[in-house]
Amino acid sequence: MGAFEYRQAEEIRDVFARHEVRYLFIGKSGAIILGYPDTTQDVALFPERSPANGRALVAGLRELGFALTPEQAGEIERGKDFIQLKNGPFDLDLIFAPDGIEHFSDAWRRRVMVEGFPVCHPDDIIASKVAANRAKDRETLDRLRSFRDYWQRTRRG
Amino acid sequence: MVPTDRSALAAEPPGYNFGSVKQESAIPAEWLAEFEAAAGRPLKQRFRYAFVRTAKPVLDDASYRSFESLAEYRRWCEESLPDWLGYGRI
Repeated sequence: MGAFEYRQAEEIRDVFARHEVRYLFIGKSGAIILGYPDTTQDVALFPERSPANGRALVAGLRELGFALTPEQAGEIERGKDFIQLKNGPFDLDLIFAPDGIEHFSDAWRRRVMVEGFPVCHPDDIIASKVAANRAKDRETLDRLRSFRDYWQRTRRG
Repeated sequence: MVPTDRSALAAEPPGYNFGSVKQESAIPAEWLAEFEAAAGRPLKQRFRYAFVRTAKPVLDDASYRSFESLAEYRRWCEESLPDWLGYGRI
């Protein structure tokens, strides 16, 4: 399996739009879509936790090529807090309850759209990384905060 | 859009006080140059530069994992993954 590609992000966007999945790119992958220059291996999505969205998400993931057992599909539909998928065309983390973000609806209201990709606001990405308090984020945070400041001052509209 | 007035974004030199400019708004010049360069690239190109793939011990050993809580996942990372991967909490 190679690195995550733009066309795969487009497939997520288009397939999830057809299935009306409510989700946000989060973490460093989200920041990268916003313009943050860095590298990552992780693609992380923050889906809304609801029965209808869970069913739509499972249908979308299967269409994308993820081989989900009935038990795994059930866990996704239920919205287990953290699910790591490596049984599809690319690796994907589903984070239904990211650290540092109280409600999906709040993050959804603050979302940023980039070429049709729904992305968490940089403040939410930073909040989740601060709350996670991981060693691998420690060096990233100052640079990410600087990027947030740059992004806020230069964004269009 | 790239701002034309870089002085409004760049970090002040050590020991210099801009007065009304908040400390958190100072962006080190090296990072500012990187942000500006990235802003000039199309998203498709940014993807090519940003997403990489390397083998991750333990993490790559299962095709599916799930956790009832982030706290449970963090504990699993600390107990199961090598420290150098950086998934442990500080």
